[in-house]
Formats: sequence, structure tokens, C-alpha cells
Amino acid sequence: MSAAQSLATPTRWSQLGADRTGVWGSFQGSGAEPYDTMVDHARLGFACSCPSRQTPCKHALALLLLWVRGQIADTVAPSHIEAWMQRRGAALSRAAAAADNEAGELSGGGNATGKPDATDGSGATLDGAVIGDEQPAPPTPPPDPDRNTARDDRVARMHAGLAELDRWLDDRIRTGLADPSLARYATWDQLAARLVDAQAGSLANRVRRLAGLVGASPDWHDDVLAELGMLHLLAQAGRRIGALPDSLADAVATTVGWQVRQADVLAGVPDTDEWLIAGRSDVREDRIEVRRHWLRGVNSGRWALALSFAAYQQSLDTSLPVGSSLRADLHRYPGPALRALVGTRYHDPVDHPSVAAQFAASACSIADGCAEVGVMVAAEPWLDRVPVTVHARLARAGQAWALADSTGSMPILDLGTRAFDAGVAMLLAVSGGKPVDLTVEWTPHGVVPLSIHLPDRTVDIGPRANTSFVSAA
Amino acid sequence: MTTESMQEHWQQLVTVALLGTDRRDPPNPPGPLADLVADTARSSPSERMLAQVAACTAVRRAGVVPGPVLDEIVVPDTDARPMCVPAAVERWHHITASWPVLEDEWMLTLIGNGWRIAPELLPAMLLRHRSDPVRRTRVMVGAGDAGRWLVGHLADLEPRHSAVSVTPEALSELPELPIAPELAEMLDWPGAEAGAVLAQSIEAGSLGQSHKPMLVNLIARVRPDALRVLADALNSVDPMATGHGLATVLVDLATTRHRMLEELMR
Repeated sequence: MSAAQSLATPTRWSQLGADRTGVWGSFQGSGAEPYDTMVDHARLGFACSCPSRQTPCKHALALLLLWVRGQIADTVAPSHIEAWMQRRGAALSRAAAAADNEAGELSGGGNATGKPDATDGSGATLDGAVIGDEQPAPPTPPPDPDRNTARDDRVARMHAGLAELDRWLDDRIRTGLADPSLARYATWDQLAARLVDAQAGSLANRVRRLAGLVGASPDWHDDVLAELGMLHLLAQAGRRIGALPDSLADAVATTVGWQVRQADVLAGVPDTDEWLIAGRSDVREDRIEVRRHWLRGVNSGRWALALSFAAYQQSLDTSLPVGSSLRADLHRYPGPALRALVGTRYHDPVDHPSVAAQFAASACSIADGCAEVGVMVAAEPWLDRVPVTVHARLARAGQAWALADSTGSMPILDLGTRAFDAGVAMLLAVSGGKPVDLTVEWTPHGVVPLSIHLPDRTVDIGPRANTSFVSAA
Repeated sequence: MTTESMQEHWQQLVTVALLGTDRRDPPNPPGPLADLVADTARSSPSERMLAQVAACTAVRRAGVVPGPVLDEIVVPDTDARPMCVPAAVERWHHITASWPVLEDEWMLTLIGNGWRIAPELLPAMLLRHRSDPVRRTRVMVGAGDAGRWLVGHLADLEPRHSAVSVTPEALSELPELPIAPELAEMLDWPGAEAGAVLAQSIEAGSLGQSHKPMLVNLIARVRPDALRVLADALNSVDPMATGHGLATVLVDLATTRHRMLEELMR
């Protein structure tokens, strides 16, 4: 509702109108085309051309707010609104008839009319659709045909895009990774562009990142093949999304690129905890700088990921200082996803010795850290970054660096011979070669040290954005 | 199925992927992997290959296991000096970003007062002074054995030039900064007096942006006990005066230097 209130301004709407059954208008959002929103206030129904999966969406709620404030004049419904109302009327009649039949078959169930009992103790009726805290929840409105059509179109486009991705992967596997066309960025970029058109933006980003692996290391065939396998897995899962368990289906949809609006995420049930801000890493993805803040719940022990984005000359989020703790509501994205939005904050981030003790308590051995990573990756094999806090020391594995303890070792991501690894330098300097508690990001190619938790302070050593590109880095 | 057999199978998949399934059929999946990818719907070699690659990658990633136990590295000798306080660490970052004129004094005060450089500053300091033998030597003095140990492990932190002898005087003396004679006499004035003259001159416009380098040098070398009062005086410059911006900048310099010296006192 709070998201809707900010939209309930007549100046942001055009073609507003209402009559005794409906209210409608066009909202100019961030997209090029305005969202057409319609509300059947008499029989409780909503339709909006926005991509939100929330029903009603914030545009429908904003429209109702304007209407109850008397800011929408009565007028004659345009033809497309009238058509929508008629379709709704027909659908509701069919639903009522079906309910009548069912009640008759049950003989004696329900009330005298055979309809669901539309009255509660206060006399509110279903037709009146009184929705309040004291009222029982009204039955879910019948699915809106127009809204579903828009979503079906998106799903169809995504399915087509995933089918095309699988065909492309198949061609690559047939012709082999030694094919010179793989060395051309355009080969990947054209596929990525088609995936963007197919509403699979996240997969498009993944494809562009994959292009950067070609020729990047002596073992690049190995890395590229593994990523092609993950793309195939996602393409197959995305095309069978209806057959997947809900939680996994949400995870696949999000990973493929199904957009979930922030307002919808914030409307979800919060995960309230004392959150340790364990680590941060900045990564440039195409023309956007992405900042990842890894948070860990003190009570739940669960990890969460807060992302912020900045284009050229924009600012990244600096409100989550690494090494502090924050009591807050986190709203997780659908599925088992680590990604979450920070909602209500109950205080400013605090940094005191007890926080350091909590970090120390959450640190585990290398073997346990591998097991922790394995559990998360088994649930979502396409994850390419997973956080873990370990108690370990730096060690040499040939020419490369690794984290080690008495249970084993984890290789540190090798940035290549030409790059100065500031993370390793900081880890070496601050630890002095002794064991320390540290939060790292596991990746399939090695871990990235993010922060060192000392008894008196946490040192943020994660990869940092270039200040000439974004501010607040 | 062992980690080794999975690795062996993966290498076979990589070989086939390099050649392409038009030239070579994918290997038969071993053990449980065969059950995972068994699907009669996958008729073509490339489809069977992709299924194997996906399954094998998922299994290898989810089955992440620790690498071998590795030897410990030799640690540096313990340094008995106390480490500089976290505020001094933050101050060094502010100084190098905004007031590099204060960096030498920061380092000499730290060394003179028996502090040790906080380890998190060492990589940045050693990188910053790879080509400056005097400042680099000061860093090595402030870092103690940890500095030599760190450079021994990371070739990127080694000096750009071969060892240059640095005299003790060069190590311990602040470099001279150019200050106009009419301003130089203020170096020994009490803070209130110097502050009043500077504030009036800035307000009147007789000291402006063109004098900023000299004013910066003056405040970087003025008596430490004058800094706080000097900052207060500059803070009182009329916000409507054209020199208010310059005064604000100089207040930050005076305050930064005052706090820097306080943090490094013992």
C-alpha cells in the first residue's frame, strides 16, 4: 500500500475515468509505454498491463486510492474497458453457475443459494467486498483474462528464448569449442541480445560473462564447458518450470531473468533478525557496477545478499558497513534465493566487540565450509557466488595462494599474472600468516577473500569499484 | 563414484567438447551419472553430451571438497610496538586522498612516538612509495619485520629501483615547503593571532584562491598548538564572503592536521 500511495497522484495518470462498476486510467511508469490499469470496484477485479505478479498491483491500488479520494470524475467507459467488464461479467456468471452445480451435487452444503456464504458476522457481503482486519479474507478473485494473457505472452517469449538457447548450445557442442567463432565476442553478444528480447536478461548477462572466459586462462575450455552445462541446465529447467516444485520454480525463474518488482518483494513476509554485515564485493558487469553485501542472521544463521547497482558517476550503497550488525527486516526474493531487500531498519549499524565475537562464533573449518557451500550449491547448482566464513590461514599451493587449516585447503581465485591481488596482499598483511576468521565468496574457480574479522575490528578487503567510474566506492 | 573417476570422466568430456560431437561421440557416463542423464528422449550425441556436461558440472560443484592440507608459511617476528589506532588508519586514507602535504608528518610522528603501522595500511603504502626511497624506507621502519616479510611474499610490492642509501637526516626531517615571506612570519604566531589575520584577509579578498598553495603549506607547518584556534577563526569567515569556500577548505586542513597529531600522540 505504501508503494501505491506514492503513485496516487493525478498528474502521473492520464485517461482517468470511473463509472458505477469500474475505474480506469493509464499510468506512465519507467517504461516507454504507459500501464493500462482497470479495477472492477463493484465485483472486485483488477487488470494492469504492468509486469508485476502481485494482485492487485500497486497501480490498481493507486487507482482505487484516487477514486475513493474523489479525484476521478465519472465518465463513459471507453470501448476496451467496457469489453473487459463484459468479459469479467461473463466469467463470473460461469463461475457462479459452476458453484451452483457443485453445491447442488453436494446437496446440503453451503447456504440456500448454493453460493459460498457471502456474509460474515458483521454483515459484510462478498459483493460489497469489505476488506478489513476484522473480516475474514475474501475468496480469491477469479483470474483476470487480460492480465493472464500478458503474462502468458511473456512466458511464451521466455520459453522460445530458452529453446533457442538450447539449440545454440547444441550447435556449439556439435562443432566443438575449438571453433574459431567462439573467440569473437559477437558470437556471444548476438545470443545475449536475443535472450534479452526473450525476457531472459539474467541469462544474457551470464552469456556475456562467459564470453570473457574464452582464452582467459590455459584451462578456458574447461571453464567454458562447465558454464555451457549450467546454461543447458537452466534452459531445460526454465522450459519445464511448470513441473518444478514451487520453490525451485521461483529460483529458476529468477535466475533466468523473470523480473520481480521491488514493491512486490517488500510486500512479502519479512525475515527479521540481527544481521551481521559479513562482507562486500564490487564487480563490474557490462556497464554497471554491482555491489554485493553478504549478511548473516545471528539467530537463523541464514545468509542473505543485498545488491546495489551504479552506472557511470552514480553511487553505490554505503549504508551497510562491513563488520557491523544491524537489526532489520529482510524481504527475500521468491524461492530459496539468497537475494533480499533490506526493509525496516530498527537501528543504525553498530560495531562493537560483541559483533566481533559473533563473527568468530560463525567461523568454521575449511572442511565444514566446503560442506556449507555444497549444501547451497546442491539446492541451486547455477549459483556462482556463495558466502562462507572460515577460520583459516594463507598458504602456498605451488605458485598460487590458498586458504588452509588442518582439514584441508581452498584455492584463492587467481586473478592472473598481470593483476595485483589487493585482497591477497591485505590478507597476508593483516593476518601475518596466522589463522584468522574471514568471510570469503566461493566461486567455482576459487574463493575471493572479502573481510577479515579480528577481535577488535573487521577489515574490509573485498574487491572495490573504481572511483573514477562510480562514487562512494 | 569417486572424485577421481568424476574428474577422469570430466576430462573425457572436455576432450570431446573441444573436437565437437560431429567428430567424436560423447563417452558413456559412469555409475550414478548414467542414471542421472538416462533419457531416451535425448537422441543426438550433442544432446546426450550436454546432459552429461550439465549433470557432471552440478555434481562437481555441489560436491566441493577441501584440497590437500598445505604447509604453514613462516610468520614475521613479533613487533613489540603498539599498532596505531583505527582513527589514525582512517586519517591516513583521508590525508592521502585530500591532503598529501601532511603524509610525511603523519609517518614521522607515528615513528617518533613509537607506533607501528597498522597492517591493513602496508600494501597501499608500499605500492604508493615503490619509487620513492625516502618514504619507502620510512614505511619499512614503521612496519618493522612485517614490511620485509610482506615484500618477500609479494613481488608487486618490491621497490622499482635497486637499493638506494638514505641518510638518517633525510629519513627524520620534514621536507621544506615554499611559503611566501609575509605568511612565513605567522609560522610561530599564536593561533588566535594568525587565525584573525588570515580570516580578515580572506574576508577582505586580499587572500584568495591564487594564494591557496601557500596557505596550505603554511597550515601544514604552523605550530601544532595553534591549529584548533586557527580553525575556529577561519570558521568564522562570513558565509557571504567570496573567500568562504577557501576558508572552509583550510578549516578542513587545520582540523585534519590537529586530529592527526592528537591520534598519534602517546
